[in-house]
Amino acid sequence: MAKAPIRKPKKKVCVFCKEKISFVDYKDTTLLRKFISDRGKIRARRVTGNCTQHQRDVAVAIKNAREVALLPYTSTAR
Amino acid sequence: MRRYEVMVILDADLEERTVGPSLDQYLTLVRQSGGAVEKVDVWGRRRLAYDINKKSEGIYAVVDLSCDPATVLELDRQLTLNESVLRTKIMRPDAR
Repeated sequence: MAKAPIRKPKKKVCVFCKEKISFVDYKDTTLLRKFISDRGKIRARRVTGNCTQHQRDVAVAIKNAREVALLPYTSTAR
Repeated sequence: MRRYEVMVILDADLEERTVGPSLDQYLTLVRQSGGAVEKVDVWGRRRLAYDINKKSEGIYAVVDLSCDPATVLELDRQLTLNESVLRTKIMRPDAR
């Protein structure tokens, strides 16, 4: 019985580190929308591949954008 | 003196042209107390991600200014007293 071969997880590089973006703007909704699910939830770091610091910056930016109704707290898609 | 970024969401029933002048009326407070208004950016009508005060649309405006902390607090107080202001948010861009 052959076990499924262990896939080597591909190491994701943080988009912000790669692009050298120092701070995440809460007004940039097109960028932030990439980091929320279609339900409006913030995507986990293991999904986005962001580094610790940038994931935190993104989370704060999304929460700020939610306060001014640029992004939804929840969206009932489906 | 500190730099601030004030985001204001106004009622969409307002005329978009009148937003600039009426916002400027509040900003005279900043100028009088020795602050400076750097930029007023009216985004225009936008759909809100969720309803605020049972309204699904709003007019967004972003104001960059530098003034004393007490002045921006007073500006925020006066803005929220206005019925046609749905929401305000004050950010400090250089705090990050």
